[in-house]
Amino acid sequence: MKIDCIIDGKALSLSVNSNKPLSLILMEDLENKSLTSHCGGRACGNCVVLLNDEAILSCMVPAFRIRGMKIRTFESYQRSRQYRDIERAYKASGNTPCRSCYNARTLIIESILQDLSSENKVRGRDEESVHQHIIQELSLNTCQCIDLAELVQIVEIALTYRNRRRRVRRS
Amino acid sequence: MLEGVRSPLVYTPRSVNEFATIIARHPHAVIWAGGTYLMSRPQYYPSEANDGIIDLAAMEELKRITRNDRYVEIGAMVTAGQLLSAGRLLLPSLLQQTLRTMGTQIVRRQITVGGSLCIEGERLSLATALAILPATAEIKRFDGNKVTTHWVAISKLYDKEGVLTIADQPFLLTRIRIGLEFGDFQRFLLFGDAVRNPLECGIVAFHAKREQNGLSKAQFSVAFPRKAFHISRDLESKLSGVALPIHPERVNTLSYELVAELTKMHHAISDLQLERVRRIFESFLHDLNSQSLS
Repeated sequence: MKIDCIIDGKALSLSVNSNKPLSLILMEDLENKSLTSHCGGRACGNCVVLLNDEAILSCMVPAFRIRGMKIRTFESYQRSRQYRDIERAYKASGNTPCRSCYNARTLIIESILQDLSSENKVRGRDEESVHQHIIQELSLNTCQCIDLAELVQIVEIALTYRNRRRRVRRS
Repeated sequence: MLEGVRSPLVYTPRSVNEFATIIARHPHAVIWAGGTYLMSRPQYYPSEANDGIIDLAAMEELKRITRNDRYVEIGAMVTAGQLLSAGRLLLPSLLQQTLRTMGTQIVRRQITVGGSLCIEGERLSLATALAILPATAEIKRFDGNKVTTHWVAISKLYDKEGVLTIADQPFLLTRIRIGLEFGDFQRFLLFGDAVRNPLECGIVAFHAKREQNGLSKAQFSVAFPRKAFHISRDLESKLSGVALPIHPERVNTLSYELVAELTKMHHAISDLQLERVRRIFESFLHDLNSQSLS
């Protein structure tokens, strides 16, 4: 099956099996180094990519669903401004995820930031429910390399950077 | 492409009529909603879907949420994430609690209502919660070129093992309808991880209507993915009409009666799962008592 899509800013025309998972397309056909393993849909949370700017598990997206879509993996995301917020938060907290989950964890944090930095969504939510939301989202990745409390702290710091940057841009 | 593995044909109907034409030609085609369950099967890839795949993503009529004074209608292709964000004001709290337990926001973007209700032999959160709410599903059955439409109560869609009872011929669940008259006491609890470790997981939903000093209606369902799906009619009749608060000894007796009922009807449930369900059920009743006293 021929599938046209945009991956990391490049317009591609792929010839792949129509039901092949996106994670395998990225790993096998495109040799994308940001994805390290394929769990076969067991939701290990290590294959997160951005599909039309929304984080998804690429092992749960078949090839026929990416037609005409814009996919961003960590390879292109790490060159963006948004990544700087998270990178700075890692440095500020003194904790960094291990190499095998770093890419996926960073994209999960990006997804949380997108959700929380939209002011309308935060308004009306109490602090406890926001905290619960962060914990639930972070639990997607099963790697044990970093403590959950430390990860929550990273998200909170990154959120501060993100909101500050937005305010500066607005003013 | 893998050598020797034929790439399955993908059909993308835009309406139910188009779907009917395709399913008449390819009755064994895989019907694709969100794909989260299908893609998590160990034999998913590489494998041959000989009769092709029917992708429902282009069917706009399955993506609507509508509401009137009596009920909410939710299209089968509405995702759990969309439903949770759109339904804060329209959905019963039981359903909101249920949707929140369906993985993280990233996974909820991919889970669809129809897909969650129609997976073959595994009953998860949504089916368990909807089974005790006044919820029905519109089922279109396809027999050659003939299409028949039925509204079926969600609780009647599954047998005691949680297997779909309507899967004997091609069908399409197009939308669900949830009545807006529900009880004021609603609880939902999931223990274990339904995706990563379904065999040790359990899902419990409880819904009750209180009137003056008693319960006018109580409904309780419990699911053990791949093992059992249980709606306790016996317990419901015992609880309906009971005066509040329920005596702690009676609560204890009822919880052991539930265990006896589950053990009698389902053999695959482990002792640990039974004990956890018993305690959850007890905690719901104690919670109901404390609310009635406050």
